Amino acid sequence: MYRAAIHGDREAFGMIIRIHSRALFAIAYGILQNREEAEDAVQDALVKAWKSGWRLRDPEKFPTWLCMIARHRARDIFRRRRTVPLSGEITEPVESEATDTTALDQQLHFALAALPELHRSALALRYFEEMDYRSIEKLLGLSNGALRGILGRALASMRKELRPALASLE
Amino acid sequence: MPTVHDEIDNYLAADVHNELSNEERYDLHAHLVECADCRRLHQETKIMNNALEETLASEKPDIAFEQRMLAAFRNRVPQKAGRTTTLIVDLMRLRATQITAIAAVLLALVQVGRMITGEGTTAPRNREYATQEQFAAQPAQAPLPSSNDIGALSKSAIRQDRKTDRLAAGQSLAGPQKAAAPAESQTEAKDEKQKPDEVDRAIAAGSTIPAAKEVGRNPAETPVPALANRKLIRNAKVELEIVRFDDAIQEITAFANEERGYVATSSSEKQANGKLKGEIVVRVLPENLDHFLQKIRVLGELKNQTLGTEDVTKAYFDTDSRLKNARVMEQRMIDMLKKKSDDINDLLQVEKELGRVREQIEQMQGDLKYWDSQVQFATVTIQLTEKDMEEPAKFLLKERAQLALYAPDVEKIYNDIKALASPKTQITNAQLDRDNTGRVSARASVLIAPEESDAQIARVKTMGRVENFQVQTERVAQGGTGMSENARTKRDKVELNITISREEQEQALQQTSLRICTSSVDDKTKELRGLAEKQNGRVRSSSFSRDPDGREFANVSLRVPMKDYNALMQSLTTLGKVENVSVQRQDRTGAQVDETNAPADLSIQVYSQGNIVSQETGLFATLRRTLGQSAAAIMWSLRMIGVALAFLAPWAIALAAIIWVARRVVRARAGRSD
Repeated sequence: MYRAAIHGDREAFGMIIRIHSRALFAIAYGILQNREEAEDAVQDALVKAWKSGWRLRDPEKFPTWLCMIARHRARDIFRRRRTVPLSGEITEPVESEATDTTALDQQLHFALAALPELHRSALALRYFEEMDYRSIEKLLGLSNGALRGILGRALASMRKELRPALASLE
Repeated sequence: MPTVHDEIDNYLAADVHNELSNEERYDLHAHLVECADCRRLHQETKIMNNALEETLASEKPDIAFEQRMLAAFRNRVPQKAGRTTTLIVDLMRLRATQITAIAAVLLALVQVGRMITGEGTTAPRNREYATQEQFAAQPAQAPLPSSNDIGALSKSAIRQDRKTDRLAAGQSLAGPQKAAAPAESQTEAKDEKQKPDEVDRAIAAGSTIPAAKEVGRNPAETPVPALANRKLIRNAKVELEIVRFDDAIQEITAFANEERGYVATSSSEKQANGKLKGEIVVRVLPENLDHFLQKIRVLGELKNQTLGTEDVTKAYFDTDSRLKNARVMEQRMIDMLKKKSDDINDLLQVEKELGRVREQIEQMQGDLKYWDSQVQFATVTIQLTEKDMEEPAKFLLKERAQLALYAPDVEKIYNDIKALASPKTQITNAQLDRDNTGRVSARASVLIAPEESDAQIARVKTMGRVENFQVQTERVAQGGTGMSENARTKRDKVELNITISREEQEQALQQTSLRICTSSVDDKTKELRGLAEKQNGRVRSSSFSRDPDGREFANVSLRVPMKDYNALMQSLTTLGKVENVSVQRQDRTGAQVDETNAPADLSIQVYSQGNIVSQETGLFATLRRTLGQSAAAIMWSLRMIGVALAFLAPWAIALAAIIWVARRVVRARAGRSD
C-alpha cells in the first residue's frame, strides 16, 4: 500500500489518510494544542507527503516519515503563531477553587504547555489513540524503550505542577 | 542496576498506561507496599491519569475527522491525468534505471576522454597480444596455419605466420610444460638467420603446439610431416649495391657454378651519369640456396632481401591424379574407337571428346613439368645497382638578374631595349603599361647567351637611373641529386628581367618638410614657385585653404635634384620665417645610386596666423559647453552604475541562496534536537 501511494496511487493514499490521520492529528495537537491549527497542519502535511513522496526510498518508513512532515509543519505553524503574544500566558489564573473541574482543565492545559513538544505529542498519541508504547516509538522515530522514560518524565513534571489541585481532588 | 524506587516515575507512567510486564508490575507493587512516598505518587498519578483522560477526550478529533481530511486532500490535490508523469517517476525510482544512468554517464565521460586524448582502439588490442594468458584463453583469435595451406599464402602472409608462430611459442612457454624450449630456440635461430628451412620447421612446430598442449606431449617429439615428398618452390629476391657491375656479374656466375646452379637471365642498363644497374636471375639447387645467398652478400651492400616458399604439394598431386584419370579415360576412348562402331556420329563424338581429354593431359603434363623445374631449382633474382646511382651527370649554372630603372622617357628606353634583340639576345617578353592617370611603366624579359650577358647588362644599365639590380645564381644538378666530383658545370643562358618606371615614381633620397610663417600667403607661394624653377625643381602638387579662424595655408610639394637642394633651402629664408624643418634621408644600401641626380622632395607649408581667439565665446557658448559636459558626465556615471550592478547582482543572489540554505539547515537541526 505504501509503495502504491508513493508511486502516485490516490486510492492507496486515501487509505493511508484513513489509517494515519488521527495519529498525525495527535502529534500536531501535541505541538500546537489547538484543534483547528492541528487539522490545518495535518492537511498540509498530507499534501506535502503526496507531492514529495517519490523522494522516499524505503516504503516501510512511510508512516514515520509522514509523522516527521506533520511535526515540521506543526512546528512551522507554531513558530508563526509565536510572534503574536499568547493571551493565555498573560491571563494565567491562579485560582484557589481547585474543585472546579474547568479550573482543573485549564491547569492541566498549562501543565501540558510547559512540557517539551515531543512529550506532548507522545501524550496525545497515548491519550487520543490509546496506542501502545511500541507503536508510538515507531511513529515518532524513537529507539526501543525510550518512550517509557519520556512519558515517565512528562507525567512526573505534570504531577509536580498539579500537585495542589490533585491534592484537593483526592 | 537502578531500583524501582529510582525509576518510580517511569514505572508509574507505564503502570497507568498498562505497559508493565507481569514481573515489573509485581516488583512495583512489592515496592509500593514498602515505600509510602511512592505510594502517594502512585495515587497522584492515577488521579492525574484520569483527569488527563477526561480532559483530552474532549479534544479528540470527531468521527468525521478522516472524511474531512480526505475531502480536504482531494480538494487540494485535484486528480491529474499524469500517467506518463507517474511512469517517469516510477522509472526514476528503479535502482536499475539509476545504475544504468550512472553507467551511461561514466561511459560518455570515458568516450569524451578518449576523443580528447585521441587514443585509438588499437592500444588495447596490442595489450591483448602481449598478455599471453589472455591469448591462450582465446586461441581462436589467432588461427595457426596448418601445414597444408602454407602454399596458398603469399609472402606477406608467411611473414605474418612467423609472428603467429612466435606467439605460439611464447604461449607454450607460459604453459606448464617446459616443452617449448626447443621451439623457442628454433624461433630465435630463424630470427637471426632467416633461413627458410628453419622457417618451415618453426611453422610446423608452431602448428603442432596446440595439439601438444592438449595431449601434454613435447612438441619436439611430435612427428614432423615428412618434407621429402613435399613440392616446395623456393625463391629469393635480393637487392645489392655494388661498386662495379661487371665484376659482380662475374662473381655471381662463379658462385652459381660452385653451387651447381646457372645464370638464367641477366640484363643491364646504363644511366645518364655512366652508372650501371641491372638484374640477374640465378637458378640453384634448393638445398644450396642459403649457402648461395650468404656468398653473394659479400659482393656489396645488401639493400633488401626477401625469401619465399610456395608449397604446391596439394596442387601437384591433385594434378597428378587427375592426369592419371585422364590417361585412363583416354585409353578407354581409344578402345571404343577400336571397336568400330557403325554410327559415324558416335565416332565423331568420341573423337572430339578424345581431343579434349588429350588437350587436358598435355596441359596437366605441362603444369607438372613446370612445377618440377621450379621445385628442382630455386630462383634467385638479384637486382644490382652501382654505388652513387643518383649522382648527377652534370650541373647547370642558371643566372637570373632583376634590374629596375628610372627614366624620364619610358617609351624611348623600352624601344632601345627592344632594339637589342639579336640571335644571342632574345627578348622573351616585353610589355608597356599605361594606366588611366597617364603613368607609363614597362617590363621586359631578355634571355642572353652566357658569353654576351655581362656586356648587354652593362649597356642596359646606362639607359636610365638604376634603382635596383639583383643577380641570382642557381646550380642545378641534372640526372640525379646530391654532389658529384666528376660532373661538369655549364653556364646556362642569363635571364634578365627589366622594369622601367618614370622618374616621378622614384622614391626621393631625402624628404624635407618645413613651415614658413608669413603674412601674405598667396604672394609668397607664387614667389616660392619661381625660386623652385630657378633651381631645376618641379612643383608636384600644391593646395590652398583658409580655416574659419581666418588662417590661410598653402601646401607645396617640390622635387629637386640633390645637387640643387642646398641652394634652394638657402633661398627659402628670403620668403619668411622658416620653422619646423625636418629632414629624412633614405639611404638604400647595396643599390648603386647616383647621388647628385637623385631626387629630393620638399613639402613646404606657407601659412598666416589669422585670428588668435576662437569665435565661440561669451556666456551662452560657455553655458552650452558646460551643460554638454555635465550631461556627458551623467551618462558616464549611469553606465558605471549599470556595470557595478551587473558585477554585484550574481554575488548578491549567491549570498542570498547560501543564507537561505543555511537557515533551512539550522531550522531542520533545531527541529530534530527537540
